[in-house]
Amino acid sequence: MRSLLLQVMAVTSINLKSIAQRRWLSLSTVIAIALVVIVLLAFLAMANGFQRTIAGSGADDIAIVLRAGSQAEINSTVARDQVRLIEDGPGIARGADGKPLISPELYLVVDGLKRSTKTKANLPLRGIGEQGAALRKGIAITAGRMFNRGSNEVVVGKALLREFEGFDLGSTVSFGATRWTVVGVFDAGGSVFESEIWADLNVVQSLFNRNNFVQTVRARLTGPAALNELKSYSDNDPRLKLDVKSEAAYFAEQASQTSDLIQKLGWPLAIAMALGALAGALNTMYSSVAARATEIATLRAIGFGGFPAFVGTLVESLSLAAIGGLLGAAATYLIFDGVTASTLGGNFTQVVFDFKLSPWLIGEGVVLALIVGLIGGLFPALRAARMPIVAGLSPT
Amino acid sequence: MNDFDLVRKNLFRRKLRAALMIVSILIAFMIFGVLAGFYRAFTAGEDRAAADRLITVNKINFTQPMPIAYFNRVRAVDGVRQVTHANWFGGYYQDPKNFLMTLAIEPATYFDMYRSELDIPPEQLQAFISDRSSAVIGESMARKWGWKVGDRVPVASNIFTQRSNGSHTWDFTIAGIVKGKAEQVSTDFLLFQYAYFDETRSFGKDTIGWLILQTNSPENNDRVAKTIDAMFANSTAETSTDTEKAFGKAFAAQFGNIALIVFLVVGAAFVTILMIVGNTMALSIRERTREIGVLKTLGFSGPRILRMVLGESVLLALLGGLPGLAIAALITIALRASLANIAPAFAVSPVIALEGIALMIALGLFTGVIPALNAMRLKIATALGRG
Repeated sequence: MRSLLLQVMAVTSINLKSIAQRRWLSLSTVIAIALVVIVLLAFLAMANGFQRTIAGSGADDIAIVLRAGSQAEINSTVARDQVRLIEDGPGIARGADGKPLISPELYLVVDGLKRSTKTKANLPLRGIGEQGAALRKGIAITAGRMFNRGSNEVVVGKALLREFEGFDLGSTVSFGATRWTVVGVFDAGGSVFESEIWADLNVVQSLFNRNNFVQTVRARLTGPAALNELKSYSDNDPRLKLDVKSEAAYFAEQASQTSDLIQKLGWPLAIAMALGALAGALNTMYSSVAARATEIATLRAIGFGGFPAFVGTLVESLSLAAIGGLLGAAATYLIFDGVTASTLGGNFTQVVFDFKLSPWLIGEGVVLALIVGLIGGLFPALRAARMPIVAGLSPT
Repeated sequence: MNDFDLVRKNLFRRKLRAALMIVSILIAFMIFGVLAGFYRAFTAGEDRAAADRLITVNKINFTQPMPIAYFNRVRAVDGVRQVTHANWFGGYYQDPKNFLMTLAIEPATYFDMYRSELDIPPEQLQAFISDRSSAVIGESMARKWGWKVGDRVPVASNIFTQRSNGSHTWDFTIAGIVKGKAEQVSTDFLLFQYAYFDETRSFGKDTIGWLILQTNSPENNDRVAKTIDAMFANSTAETSTDTEKAFGKAFAAQFGNIALIVFLVVGAAFVTILMIVGNTMALSIRERTREIGVLKTLGFSGPRILRMVLGESVLLALLGGLPGLAIAALITIALRASLANIAPAFAVSPVIALEGIALMIALGLFTGVIPALNAMRLKIATALGRG
């Protein structure tokens, strides 16, 4: 047993040391595997970053009320008298003054200019009620101040400011014939709200001719469990019949569509490329076995078994794959991690998000690389183990 | 035995190695075919956009409404041949997940505007116009849901509500099926009459989503667009008028830089095979050094050897690339129905196929050139002397 282990170690070290002799072929395998891992991880980091931005936006103890079947805030309408009924609904927390903690909101799409491409993009302008900012966790004004109620002032999320032109603090923006002053910039803890423009609900309602209705109502619940009370209250009142969801569930739905799509693109592409890289790995390892035919036969002739030859070849292949996988992960981290991108989200507006790698994703990338290495090494390793001694020693 | 036989025999002397290289080339061209096909279909809207068609939307954003009065005012602008309007309905069938691309339109002008794209039998168009609560559907939607002329279809809206009963659902009788006049025209839509829509909805009365207009000649586009936008300046609904092409392009750009992503992935796939195949070719020529020496001794000239080696690498690229493109074509056919919405006529077009073949030849020449030059310059004495 011990001698077998020693044989395996000896042959493996010969294998690894001989890589240098096939450096170009080995290097091409390493780079091919690294590229596969980069493509996979870039897509997964994109999906992950998008998912985190949106899914991280919702809270369990905030209820969002939408028109039945509307799916997204942009489609929804809630009439003024419905808002009053919701205010009186059960399960809604009240402030020190006894008023319900709710925020009726309007969600409009306005045009902005994307900095990178100078093309028009859909940006959300949200008219929020008095409690609007308080109903979201971690809202902090980082520059300027909050808008004054009743005036044509807006505050903008810092992600929106970074990606789109013309929203610098103090500047005037026009949406159609209406003019607004940017008086503040806010941080929302990396959530989707950072891609939004906020203004006072009443001002938005009157300037956009939407006086009789809002689009959604957000309410702070007395606890996550109170959601069902509010839900059955809405279901049982024929004047309401609205969709009541927790904000967390709402954003989870919003996130899943786009990030699923990105992942569905990423995996098939990476697998197809992995098959190409597999062909390369097989080629390299068969060449390795062929180049060492004499050496393997010599070892066999002096009493080494077939198994060490098998392990040595497999380890060589797995090492190349592991190097490729780690190289790919490192390159993805350096090139893509933290890169900001924006795309159309479920509300038909731009969502700014960062590519985000996670240890779990890197693990997926390295595993894919090792699978390529394993299959790419297995068949050549079997050939090495079974090679007849005579064939290896006869002059070529 | 001619040179081609020699090239073929050389290529397949190690069958496994040749097969592996062919597989990796095949995969790269499969990725190329599918992604290029997707990109072309995704941007097909821009290419098909008529040069003389303009879109007028609310300046705030194209999702904001405009007064219906704009329809007649734009119609009166000098240089405008035809105007029509459309309104987004947010339609779905039974479950909100079953999205139906549904627009409320003005039938007579709409079908005149799209006469070079959409084809509807005149009697069906007549039936559509005369029955206010009817709708027409595109061929691909009809196929998808198995709907026929005369069927009654309930279409729900995720935005609008009926004024009379508070319902979110409108029932339509299918009056006709619209065919596309070209493959790239998406026919996954349902159209119904604006007049009926405006009368039955609970809010938004007398507003429209956007105007589509056709100018007398593309040269008038700029002037017409400026006139229209100036006409509504400083009103409560200012407008922004642009060519259909620019509008489509800006909309596609909102999803992100699709072109860059496609380019990077295809690029990565090609760099991979370039290295693998290039290295392997070099290796296989090196193994044959002695034989090349023999060929030279027999009187094969340097350039002839060069041609043979290049021929081998080009043959290899074609043997992998052509089936790769064929598989890509099959994949696009299989996925076409499910991508009908975002990329109609998803296919490996003749142009993509030709580009692919040009790439194969380039790849073959590129991977073969260094080994081929080395083989050409090889001195007989060195070649025969080498182990």
